[in-house]
Amino acid sequence: MSGPAFDPLLPWPLVGALAVLAALVALWSLWRGLRGWLLRGLAGLAVAAALAGPALESGIRDKLSDIVILLDDRSASQDLPGRAAQTDAALAEMTRQLAALPDTEIRRVTVGDDPDGTALGAALTRALAAEPQGRVAGVIAVTDGLAHDRAMIPAAAPAPVQVLLTGEDRDWDRRLLIEEAPAYGLIDKPVTIRLRVEDQGAVPPEVAQAPARLRVALDGEPLRGLDLPPGVTLDLPVVPKHAGQNVVSIGFDAPEAATPELTDRNNAAAIQIQGVRDRLRVLLVSGAPHAGERTWRNLLKSDANVDLIHFTILRPPDKMDAVPVDEMSLIAFPTQELFMERIKDFDLIIFDRDRVRGILMPQYYENIRRYVEEGGAVLVSAGPEMSTVESLNLSPMGAIIPARPTGRVYDEPFLPRLTEDGQRHPVTAGLTGAPVQGAPANGSGSHWGRWLRMSQVIPDPRAQVVMTGANDEPLLILNRVGKGRVALLTSDQVWLWGRGFEGGGPQLELLRRIAHWSMQEPDLEEEALLADVSDLGVTVTRRTMDATAGPVRITHPDGKTEDLVLTEAGPGRFTARWTAPGPGLYRLSDGTISRVVALGPAAPREFEETVATPAALAPLAEATNGTVLRLAEGMPGLRSVREGRPAHGQGVAGPWIAITPRDAASVSGVTHRPLLPGWAWLALIAALALAGWLAEGRGRLLGSRA
Amino acid sequence: MRWLAFLAALLWAAALGAQEAPDPRLTRAADEVTLAYVITGDADVDAASEAGLRGLSQVLTQRTTVEPGPPVGIDPDSDDLSLLTFLYWPVTDSQPAPSPQAYVRMNHFLRSGGMILFDTRDGDIAGLGGPDGSAALQRLAAPLDIPPLAPIPADHVLTRTFYLLQDFPGRYQGNPVWAEAPPAGAEAAEGVPFRNLNDGVSPVMIGGNAWAEAWAVDEGGLPMFSIGAGFDAEHQREMANRFGVNLVMYVLTGNYKSDQVHIPALLERLRGEEMSQ
Repeated sequence: MSGPAFDPLLPWPLVGALAVLAALVALWSLWRGLRGWLLRGLAGLAVAAALAGPALESGIRDKLSDIVILLDDRSASQDLPGRAAQTDAALAEMTRQLAALPDTEIRRVTVGDDPDGTALGAALTRALAAEPQGRVAGVIAVTDGLAHDRAMIPAAAPAPVQVLLTGEDRDWDRRLLIEEAPAYGLIDKPVTIRLRVEDQGAVPPEVAQAPARLRVALDGEPLRGLDLPPGVTLDLPVVPKHAGQNVVSIGFDAPEAATPELTDRNNAAAIQIQGVRDRLRVLLVSGAPHAGERTWRNLLKSDANVDLIHFTILRPPDKMDAVPVDEMSLIAFPTQELFMERIKDFDLIIFDRDRVRGILMPQYYENIRRYVEEGGAVLVSAGPEMSTVESLNLSPMGAIIPARPTGRVYDEPFLPRLTEDGQRHPVTAGLTGAPVQGAPANGSGSHWGRWLRMSQVIPDPRAQVVMTGANDEPLLILNRVGKGRVALLTSDQVWLWGRGFEGGGPQLELLRRIAHWSMQEPDLEEEALLADVSDLGVTVTRRTMDATAGPVRITHPDGKTEDLVLTEAGPGRFTARWTAPGPGLYRLSDGTISRVVALGPAAPREFEETVATPAALAPLAEATNGTVLRLAEGMPGLRSVREGRPAHGQGVAGPWIAITPRDAASVSGVTHRPLLPGWAWLALIAALALAGWLAEGRGRLLGSRA
Repeated sequence: MRWLAFLAALLWAAALGAQEAPDPRLTRAADEVTLAYVITGDADVDAASEAGLRGLSQVLTQRTTVEPGPPVGIDPDSDDLSLLTFLYWPVTDSQPAPSPQAYVRMNHFLRSGGMILFDTRDGDIAGLGGPDGSAALQRLAAPLDIPPLAPIPADHVLTRTFYLLQDFPGRYQGNPVWAEAPPAGAEAAEGVPFRNLNDGVSPVMIGGNAWAEAWAVDEGGLPMFSIGAGFDAEHQREMANRFGVNLVMYVLTGNYKSDQVHIPALLERLRGEEMSQ
């Protein structure tokens, strides 16, 4: 920068006043007809000008280079066949041509994968913000145009934005689109997944009308196959089978065509539906009011998700008193309805010290047996009545009770202990305060309290004895009958734990686990393959009643397999940690149990849409006089044009794109030179004054002579 | 080597012997429902308690599925209460207060589901301004963690655990009996004839109707104490027995009877679901 400057010796008003005074004097002289008026006035103005201190200032300018932002899209969608090579070639060519231009710098910005897809807009905005606006001469983006943050793409740029689009004209892709999927579903109640198959790009005619053959699997088990034409929305009903994660995988094979589709990674989806139990309905049958009855009630009533139907026999049929019925609060139970008609509606039936009294008919017990075999759950907590002639074992239900009473009742204190199986079994494993092997059975309080009575039984050889009591006789026996489960507690004194006798024990937790195991809660399954997923890391836990657990075979989404060796982490627990190489559906299997886990999205966002499109970047290119060129149509040349001119065009050798050099410069210093030195001002003023004086004087002389 | 094994066996036996066997009376209390009373030291009162609970046990055995064993006298200072469910505590002036440890045990008993029935046995004189059992009751019960109390409301589950009752007579009648106050804001649910109160059992009940004396029978099964006079007397004794039955049922089954009113609704819902399927 350069220009005049002032450095006044006196304040500006005084300088101004002086200038006005000089002008007045000149006017007065004119009025008086003095011939030197002009010179007098000029002399006065010169004084004012000298006092204003006029000077010349000039800056020192440095030419600045132009900046061209070269945007390099390396997101996963750019790895599709051919695109990486196109990108490399375009970048190399652009770099070469830019290097040939004088005073041009390249700022290379690489966009990688983001969990949210390709953040092209954010990268562009950031790159533009990082450079001085006045120096940006152009933006060249080599990309497939699949930006997932369209809102972040700037609306304008200080220089032309040129987009070089990768991809081929004949690219096409068929993908699976999940429009709507529930995150939760009631067990055994269908939920609806809404999906559709969509074609994009230049779909070959032989594929365009062919339906996709969908394969639907629930937890890795094939469910059904169906044909779905592209563009048609389908409501697919799926029934969650168990509590916890139900993985529905849906996919189809890549259609056969001369030009294969871009990728098959978006041909599948995994939907995780959390199975939730409907309200649990529990039928509790108490044979007689006893001290432990409220224990059961507290357990079941503390769970807001349980509908409890409780049935206590307060008065047996063989006892009578003379009290009129309307003074009694006893009501007959709808036994026929409960045990015959509605029995299937119950998730669990608990017999608490129940005995065969003639209240429940034999066919009811027969029906309960059938109910269990068809998938029901029964829990028997037996008191000494089990060893009598009124034992439930002697009813038709006896066939499913996992132990036979001998008739002997141990009426002595004993310490409940876990058996070898019990330490592995999820119902009893890890119960707090369990006595260690060989600990004396006293009431020291360092472990569970004792119970005082139990019945001797002979367990069914197929059943599992997980706890023992007096003389190491079976105390808690679990068994599977048909599709259902039966648990038997040979003592009715679990309530002593709740009362804190000798320190008590984990009574609520034990009963809760027995009940939920009976109801086939997957968390309490003996043989289970659990996968705790966090991001791409998986903690695989194999719970088993066996002493060893073989390696788990992991099948990758691409069909590759890998064996994972498990290490023992506790009785019956084998674990290993594993990190998946990438998102997708992985299948874990150890030969007997298999499980599907969805790590990250099955079709990552990058692969939702794969056909290169100019749609996202075209508005910006247009707004900045730039253009979108397909690399498939040839490599453009690079030119320089002036700002505001069209920055692309068709040349003899092919299309060209341009940058606009900005001619930017920086000022590194300023020089300040007074217009005239002081003595020169003095001489000027003196000369003007003298000239005026002379003019007037000589004029008068001349006038007098003439 | 043999003597070493013998020595080890001896030590093992000694270790086994060291484990204290629980009081056999209390073991029996855990096996069968057993009614227990606090030994006051006053021989007459203790005998009445014992006879009263025996009489109530007989009534229960005759009429219900609950078949209690012989009653147990409890010394709060030395006995473990955790095997018991129901404790009858007659209040006397002469009774020494139990030790602090005993109160710790009793508070645990109340918290874990036990119940104490305090009987001031002064239903004939209480409220007249003369000396009654309230001072002794306060002295004995003050260290216990007792929730706010209120007279038993007419819709309390105790009024219908076995018999339908309006009053809770003993040897005396017409006096209020106190139980845990209903929580503020407990309202009658729609369509239910009573409020759903105290999900659980009131840890204490307090009254002055001398119930044990009304229940008490001698060895021959005859009443030991006279009640009122005439026909009404036997009616009152019957009512006292019914109260005893209801009380034991209440202790054992909690709010079971309150829940039963919901069962028709639950069944209705099951039927409804079947229709909709």
